[in-house]
Amino acid sequence: MINQVKEIPIEGITYKNLKIEKKPLSREYVPPPPELVPRANRAVCIDPGHTCMPLGAMWATLGVHRAIPFVQGAQGCTTYVRYTFSRIFREPATIANASFHEDAAVFGGRKNLVRGVRNLVCRYQPELIAIVTTCSSEVIGDDIHSFLDEALDLMEEELGPEVREAVKFVVVNTPSFAGSHVEGYNRASREFLKALARKSGETREHVCLIPGMMTPGDIRELKHMMELMGVSHRVLFDISETLDCPLVGMPDRIPYYPPGGTPVEAFVRAGDAQAIFALSPDAGSAGAQWLDRRYKVPAYVMTMPIGVRNTDHFLRNVAEATDRPIPDRLRWERGIFLDAMADTLHYTMMKKVALCGDPDFVAAATWFVCELGMVPTYILVGTKSRRAEEDIRQACEEYGHQPVVMNGGDQFEWEYALKNDIPDVILGHSRCVNIAREIQVPLVRFGFPVYDRVGYQREPIVGYRGGERFLARIVNAILDHQYPDDRTHQ
Amino acid sequence: MDAIHLVHAPVGCGYYTWGTRRHLGDGYNWARPGVLENEANHRRHCYTTAMSEEDIIFGGTEKLKQALLEAFRINPGARGAIIYNTCSTALIGDDIEQVAREVSKEVGKPVFACASPGFCGVSQSKGHHEFNFQFYKWLLKYREEHPEVCLKEEEKTPYDVNIIGEYNIDWDEVVIVPLFEKLGLRILNVFTGNARLENLFKLPDASLSIVHCQRSATYIAELIKQGFKVPYLRVSLFGIEQTAKALRDVAAWFGEDKMRRRAEEIIEEEITAIKPAVEWYRERLSGKKVAIYVGAPRVWHWPKVMEELGMEVVACMTTFGHREDYEKIIHRVKPGTLIIDNPNEFEIEEMIETCKPDLFLTGLKEKYLVRKFGVPTLNSHSYEKGPYAGFRGFVNFARDIYQAVAAPVWQLARQDF
Repeated sequence: MINQVKEIPIEGITYKNLKIEKKPLSREYVPPPPELVPRANRAVCIDPGHTCMPLGAMWATLGVHRAIPFVQGAQGCTTYVRYTFSRIFREPATIANASFHEDAAVFGGRKNLVRGVRNLVCRYQPELIAIVTTCSSEVIGDDIHSFLDEALDLMEEELGPEVREAVKFVVVNTPSFAGSHVEGYNRASREFLKALARKSGETREHVCLIPGMMTPGDIRELKHMMELMGVSHRVLFDISETLDCPLVGMPDRIPYYPPGGTPVEAFVRAGDAQAIFALSPDAGSAGAQWLDRRYKVPAYVMTMPIGVRNTDHFLRNVAEATDRPIPDRLRWERGIFLDAMADTLHYTMMKKVALCGDPDFVAAATWFVCELGMVPTYILVGTKSRRAEEDIRQACEEYGHQPVVMNGGDQFEWEYALKNDIPDVILGHSRCVNIAREIQVPLVRFGFPVYDRVGYQREPIVGYRGGERFLARIVNAILDHQYPDDRTHQ
Repeated sequence: MDAIHLVHAPVGCGYYTWGTRRHLGDGYNWARPGVLENEANHRRHCYTTAMSEEDIIFGGTEKLKQALLEAFRINPGARGAIIYNTCSTALIGDDIEQVAREVSKEVGKPVFACASPGFCGVSQSKGHHEFNFQFYKWLLKYREEHPEVCLKEEEKTPYDVNIIGEYNIDWDEVVIVPLFEKLGLRILNVFTGNARLENLFKLPDASLSIVHCQRSATYIAELIKQGFKVPYLRVSLFGIEQTAKALRDVAAWFGEDKMRRRAEEIIEEEITAIKPAVEWYRERLSGKKVAIYVGAPRVWHWPKVMEELGMEVVACMTTFGHREDYEKIIHRVKPGTLIIDNPNEFEIEEMIETCKPDLFLTGLKEKYLVRKFGVPTLNSHSYEKGPYAGFRGFVNFARDIYQAVAAPVWQLARQDF
């Protein structure tokens, strides 16, 4: 044998030689009773398109510098959210918990909060604690504000009056039965600003951005665009340097805190901002609109800047709010994006695409696929949203498409539709993997949550550059799947 | 595996338990005519009542009943159902047991109601405990009402055994079950990895229970022992020495020379097969320091395994260990080993500073934290590339440990730049 490398020791049992035989549970395929397919006709929810409210509030909190969410509930409410964040970002997420047991269920969570907050302050010295409530504390009826007052009084006695200044508190009420994770983020955006924002009267020339549940890569792309515009800006709930951090070998000191995050000060100054942009209408508009009402900071609530039209719209509004021109550099990026669209139109035009995800992502992506000449067929909006539905209708009217929109439906309903009318490509998240494999259609991952492939949290889909990357992903997925190699070599 | 798992709760509780831990199975439903679904029945779909505010105020039992009936119609392959309540539905007092009885009668399939509110007990260990007791109670009743589900007298053999506390993480069963089958045993049940309801009804009909996870499932083995005089043996099925001991113990329990000889043959055959690989890894892993933080039993299953790889255990932590688990840990580690009960992140960080492990065996949530400290990790809950149990799985385990420790990235991270 020539040119042979040194032998690598045997592997125990690899996936390949496991050879598990799949055993069908029933003799043949039985389609579900047609009347049980639409979500509205069912009591049972199968494969929900959204998760619980506290997750959104915790997501927002983890975008704040040295902030820790304190979950007033049972341990599972924290464990599973940490688990979800770790899966998506492959980063640690520090979240504290009140650890409800039977006594809390009977007597309420006062003791848990008072002691828990004290421990957290002493051991972690956070700059901000967001008390996030859960189903159980809301059903019991915990009076969080009075508990917090008591905790503060006790801490002041023990640790001195500085503690009131050193740690800021925000309370976010998030009973899961009243909304989804998107609503949780939305509420957090309002409560943070309500608790912290002030107007000093000095005019400061900066704008605030509430990104919603964008990835670290998306947020970095937003900052890049703002820098090119020359606009002084603050991203509120900035997870780009808290949930995406370098490996350093050994942090300087413990406890480990990620270096980044929006400083508390930025929330305080939000009252003086020139404008506030909510770039995910369903996750963040509550905060922006509150700031507008309270401190007359003009609020711009707009579709997420995915695709040409939405990015144009965003930048025009930034230009209008700050009275600055759109620089040539951004026009260049836009031109590159358009160039990429022109180069690939034969692969995207008239392709049927099904979409699934959170309302903000899906509404914006619908605009984008329309711009690519694709035909949206079935659109599942994971959390019911009137605004997203209107946005989708508007896009489809403009481009002459008539998709089926399942607003607030579950994945079962959507899945069944796809099985009967197979699209060319699916834009969805990691929960769509099974359906994509079963109908043998490529899945382009985006939105919340993507956890089964690496790198998605770092790669932007917003802005012109992000759009170009997103387009490349869509086209490459189609090429991999539908075109033999000799037809892609031009 | 072949049941519908319906979580009676607001949406999150069901959502997070959907397709998370890799407890795999081989029973599949049809996706389309001729095409099986991509994941086994119990992992493919998430069924929940997704309680709304209105449901919480007015009660959710009717919704639960309707939901369960619909789920049975949508999933005709399911052999039964297990319904779980959670914090909110327990607080509002929904009677899930009543629903289970009614639906079971209506569809003619078994339905088990498991009361599992999150605030109950100190940790998930209470959930294991509760499931064991409630399930056993229900099992007895169901067997009484439906005697046909029991193993018929003429079908019984003296070699029928249950493997209890084995959850088929990443197909551990593929390595474990054949070992015992080769001994001449018939495995009636694996509680509850890749388990079928029809088999679980036969749990009390075995002659012996072999208990692997002794935290989550000794309860039911003990109940079966008390109720049906089926004794149980505790075993560890990780690493060479412990797996060999398990086989010898089981053979000794049956007391037949033939089986004893068979056990020795299996052990020799398996060790010969894996020895070169294990030695190759041992050579490269010797002297490394390791910290272990898993649920509970693996923390005492594994110190011996680490020793077999020449590694030194410097710290042990459990999420939900009881006194009994800590006694076992103390018994199996060297004096001076740091032991922490249910550490928080801060304590884990302190452990890393003081013990300086070369490897941390832990789960998903902690692994990213300790990596920031430059410490390699291994997902010890769901495994990286399992199975890890038994003889053959041990090579996978050793390989993944070696890959974690030997990856060039840690060296690069330590370089000054």
